[in-house]
Amino acid sequence: MRMMLSILLCKLLRLAGKLLGRGSSLPGQFALKVCPDVLGRVKLPRHIIAVTGSNGKTSTVEMIAAILTAAGRQVVYNKEGSNQIEGVATLILSNCTLGGTMRGDVLLLESDERYARHTFRWFHPTHFVITNLYRDQLTRNGHPQWVYESILPAIHPEETLVLNADDPLVACFARDHDPEKVKWFGLEECPVSTREHHGVYHDGLRCPVCGGKMEYACYHYAHIGHYRCTVCGHSRPRPDFAVTDLDLVRGRLTINGGAQLELAFRSIYNVYNILAAWSVCALCGVEEQVMAGVINNYLLKNGRMVTFTLGGHKGTLLTSKHENSVAYDTNLAYIQGLGQPCEVMVIVDAISRKYFTGETSWLWDIDFDRLACEHVRRVWLCGRYVNDLALRFDYTQVPQDKLVLQPDIQAAAQALKEEGDLPLYVVTCFSDRDKLLDLTQRD
Amino acid sequence: MELTIVHLYPDCMSLYGEYANVAVLCRHLEQLGVTVQVRTPGLDDEPDFAGAGFVYMGAGTERGQKWALTALLPHAQTLKELLSQGVPALFTGNAMELLGTCVTDQAGKAWPCLALADYATAETDRRVPEDVIAHTALWEEPVVGFMNKCSHTTGVTSPLFDRLTLGEGNEREKGPEGYVSGNLFATHLTGPVLVKNPAFLRLMIQRIFQYNGWTLPETLPSLPHEEEAYQVTLRELSARAGG
Repeated sequence: MRMMLSILLCKLLRLAGKLLGRGSSLPGQFALKVCPDVLGRVKLPRHIIAVTGSNGKTSTVEMIAAILTAAGRQVVYNKEGSNQIEGVATLILSNCTLGGTMRGDVLLLESDERYARHTFRWFHPTHFVITNLYRDQLTRNGHPQWVYESILPAIHPEETLVLNADDPLVACFARDHDPEKVKWFGLEECPVSTREHHGVYHDGLRCPVCGGKMEYACYHYAHIGHYRCTVCGHSRPRPDFAVTDLDLVRGRLTINGGAQLELAFRSIYNVYNILAAWSVCALCGVEEQVMAGVINNYLLKNGRMVTFTLGGHKGTLLTSKHENSVAYDTNLAYIQGLGQPCEVMVIVDAISRKYFTGETSWLWDIDFDRLACEHVRRVWLCGRYVNDLALRFDYTQVPQDKLVLQPDIQAAAQALKEEGDLPLYVVTCFSDRDKLLDLTQRD
Repeated sequence: MELTIVHLYPDCMSLYGEYANVAVLCRHLEQLGVTVQVRTPGLDDEPDFAGAGFVYMGAGTERGQKWALTALLPHAQTLKELLSQGVPALFTGNAMELLGTCVTDQAGKAWPCLALADYATAETDRRVPEDVIAHTALWEEPVVGFMNKCSHTTGVTSPLFDRLTLGEGNEREKGPEGYVSGNLFATHLTGPVLVKNPAFLRLMIQRIFQYNGWTLPETLPSLPHEEEAYQVTLRELSARAGG
C-alpha cells in the first residue's frame, strides 16, 4: 500500500512539476519519505545500466540510449541528469505502474560518483560503467581517491563492471570482484599516444594500490595510458573492447580490428565515451552493425560543443567544466592541434552554477602552455576571476602581448564583434557559457 | 644571494596546484636578486637537506600522506636539526599533520609522525572541502583560500591563525587553525596559498631574508595581478561569510 501511495505521489508531483517547469528531484524525495525502500520493492527491467566517473557520464549515457533505442529496446533514462537518489527515484517511479512494475527494457542511469552508494542501496545495476577518475570539483569531491572509496560500497558482487583499463585508479575496482564479471575497454597505442607525460601534474606517478613507482609504455592523456607498477605489478588489463586504430586528424577509429567509425568530434574524450557505450551495448547483446550505424558520425545532443557566429568570427564553444583540469586540457589540446590561425577566449566568472566557491587552485592544474603556439593569435581572459587567470598565464609561455584582459564578458563580445574574422574558440563551463552565447548568433 | 628550496615529495603531495607556492616564491626571490635552486625529492629519493634555506611540503591524499610519512621518518632528525636552526619552512594541507606526534587513520591505526610539534590528528569519515578566510596576528590582511581535509587536529598551542570567519579550524568550525613556531609555518589550507595571499608570501620572503642575514628592501615588489586577484577572492568570500 505504501509502495502504491509512493508511486502515485511521485507521478502527481512529477506532473505538477512539469506544468510548473520545476526540477525532477522533488517528487522522488517525497516518494522516498512515504516509502523509504520503494526502490527495493518495484520490479525493474532486465537490464539496468549505470554510468559513473569524473567525465563523460552524460555523453556516454546519451550514446548508450541512442544505440539501445536503435536496437529496438525501450530505454528509460535520466535525460535531465538528476543523478542522485531522489532524481533516480523520480525517474523509476514515474515510469512504474501503480502495481510497481517499471515499463521499459532498459533502465539507464547517469550516477553521481559520490552518491552512487545511496542510489544503489535498494537495487543494483546489471552493468556498472566507470569511465575515469580524476581531479574534478574538489570543492565537492575531495580528491579522486576519496571518490574511489565513495563508489566502492555501491558495487555489488553480482553486477558486471565495465571499466576503463587505461585508468590505473579505475582498474582498482576489479581487485575484489569476480574476474568473470569484469569487462575492460581501452585504447591501444596510436598516433595520439606519447612516450612522455604531458600536463602540469601527473596523478599516475605512484601506484594507487601500493604507492610504488609507476612506469608507462605510453600515455593517451593525463594519467590515462598503458601503466605498470614497478613494485606490486598493478598494470593495465588487456581490454575486451579496444580501439585498435585511431586517427584523430582524419577523425577515424577502429574497434577490435573490425568496425570502423567516423568521429563527428575529434576529441580523445569522445573516443573513450564511444568505446564505453560500445562495450556496454555489446554486452547487452546489441549487434555490431547497429552500434556502428548509430555511433558513426554521432553528434552529441547534450550541447557541450556549440557553434555560433560573433561578428566576423565563426565561434566554437568547448564546454570545459571549471574545477576540472583534465576537461580543460583536453579542449586546449584540441585547439593546439588545429594548426589554423584562431583566437581563444577563456571565461571564469562563476566557478559553479550549483554552489558557491571562490576556489581557483584548479587554474594551476591546467596546462595553458598548450596555447603557446603560433596559430593561437590572441587569448581573451574574461570574467570575475580575470586576475587569477592573468596571474596563471604569467607562469606560462604564452606571450603577454597575445593576452587581452577583459573582466566584462559583454565588452569582450562587443570588441570581437567589431573586429577580426579568425575562428574563435571559447573554453568555459556551463556556469558561464550562456553569458557569452546569449550575445552571439547560434548556428 | 643564493637559496636552496627543498620541495618534499611533489610526486605524491600535490593535491591541487601546490607547486605554484614554490613557483611564486622563486619568482619573487629572483626579482630580489636571489639565485634559487629547487630540489624536488620524490618518494624513492633520499632528500638532500644540505644547505637548505627553505623547506616546503604540500597536501596529498590520505594514502599519499602515509607514503610520504614513511619516506620522511628516517630523515626526521635531520629535518628537526634544520628547523631548530631556524630555516623557514611551510607545510600545507595534511602535510601539517606530519609535524605532530601522530595521525590516527579512519581504521584506527596510529601512525607515529615527526614529533616536531605536540599536536595529534585523527582522521574522520567527514570531508571538509571549504573556502576559508583566516586571521593572524602576524600580518594585517586576512588570508583567503581553501581547505580539503577529513581530520581534527588537537593540542595545537600556537595556531597560525587565531580565528577563521569562514572554514574549519584545527578542532572546530571557525576555531584557531594551523601551527606556527618560529620560522615553521603549517596550515590545512591547500593549493597555492602563497599565490592567493601576497601578504603571506611577503612574510615568507622576510623570514628567508632574516634567516640568511640579507638586507630586505623597504618595500617588496608586487607582481602584476596578485593583489587584484586577492582582493576579488576576499570580496567574494567575505560576501559569502556575511562580513
